[in-house]
Amino acid sequence: MLKLWKQTILAPVIAALLFMVVFGLSLGNSISEINGFEYRVYIVPGLIAMAMAQAAYSNNSSTIFQARNDRYLDDILSAPMPAWQVHLGYLIGGAMRSLLIGVVLTAFALPITGAPLVHPAEALLAVLLLTTAFGALGIIVGVYAQSWDNQSFINNIVILPLIFLGGVFYSVSRLGSPWEQISHLNPLFYVVDATRHGFLGSSDVNPVISLSIVAVITIGLVSWSQYLFSTGHRLKP
Amino acid sequence: MNPPAALDIKGLTKRYGDGTLALDDLDLEVPDGSFFGLLGPNGAGKTTLIGAVCNLVRPTSGEIRVFGNPGGGMMARRMIGIAEQEPNLDKFLTVYETLLYHGGYYGMGREEAGERAEQMIDAFDLRNKRDVEAPKLSGGMRRRLLLARALLHRPNLVILDEPTAGVDLELRHELWSYIRVLHEQGTTILLTTHYLEEAEALCDEIALISGGKIVARDTAAGLKVSHGAETLEQVYLKTVAGGRIALAEEAARA
Repeated sequence: MLKLWKQTILAPVIAALLFMVVFGLSLGNSISEINGFEYRVYIVPGLIAMAMAQAAYSNNSSTIFQARNDRYLDDILSAPMPAWQVHLGYLIGGAMRSLLIGVVLTAFALPITGAPLVHPAEALLAVLLLTTAFGALGIIVGVYAQSWDNQSFINNIVILPLIFLGGVFYSVSRLGSPWEQISHLNPLFYVVDATRHGFLGSSDVNPVISLSIVAVITIGLVSWSQYLFSTGHRLKP
Repeated sequence: MNPPAALDIKGLTKRYGDGTLALDDLDLEVPDGSFFGLLGPNGAGKTTLIGAVCNLVRPTSGEIRVFGNPGGGMMARRMIGIAEQEPNLDKFLTVYETLLYHGGYYGMGREEAGERAEQMIDAFDLRNKRDVEAPKLSGGMRRRLLLARALLHRPNLVILDEPTAGVDLELRHELWSYIRVLHEQGTTILLTTHYLEEAEALCDEIALISGGKIVARDTAAGLKVSHGAETLEQVYLKTVAGGRIALAEEAARA
């Protein structure tokens, strides 16, 4: 898991910390409070969620695609392991790296910014759901991808914009109608909002609703990735 | 009651999504303990057949049994070891890790898999490369590692897909001796090769595959007699490549 730690752990941690320093500590003083929190505190949960989501996605999509491309996936598919076990192994692999990033970021960010951790169990549930969902999405893209470009396309053109527009740097309640309602159609808004409620105890929507929506998305993506392993669709000609 | 065949294939058909018929109602039985050769030109269906047996290709129809167990099932998979034609090694893993992980995939505990990996490293003369990652190995070393990985979980049926393709003469003979010892210990071997002399030197029985079907099957000597040929190459040209050569000659005359 830590074999490529500079690439898989250190790089995303540094990137997220740079966001916190530049946007939170440097520019944050010129931005007014959001929902009663200083800006540098407000953005911490969203940045942690963003780093974890991207790590879970990238790890799994590149792991699966590399294994398909170099065909060492054959060693796993021909082994006497049920499909669910192989699938679970990949999900756990991506989740562990992602969770490690979350732990390291939390350990640095809370003392630097003074952000609280109001509901640790809720925050843990939110990040477990998001790492599982994005890990499953990574598997799906890794299975369908025809080239390395396909993976970065999904990351740069789909995931990153949806996370940014999902309220990492602002409260969507400030957008006003109709942008606030449109933001509520973005599934990643609920991922960010649920994580924020776990850390700050404050959110734009009821945390039960956001956690439920994230859970439904997670179940849908995990079912899809499990289907790919169970049937061998695109994995076995 | 006779023991079940190592491999029993009935009516196996594989049609790919683009319509290509790779296996056409193929029947094949490989007896337990045999050294069985499968010869055929590129595109004859050898790799598809091996893939179907090893749970890497989804058959369109037909039945596969491995020592009596349903093909693709856990027991069948446990009994097979495969060394594929192209070295398909995880580029991030060392020689030791490659073997250790493989043991884990086949249900071995970490300690057992580690001990077995060290045994295979010694058996295949990979000790100096134990902690070297696959991309840094020479072609010959990769071939040895592929074979070591295929044998690590002590399979009853070992499938070797072109194991000596592109290797030098010295390593070819070295690999032959590994495989012979393995067969003498009771392991069933299914070997695909382009080298007719390799099949003749190693195999008890040979099947010729063409167009997704088995077109001839016997010992090397039996094939020569039944086809009135002096060499296995002549048998091959008459049965497998005959049609294509006749067409080429006809085209040349025209």
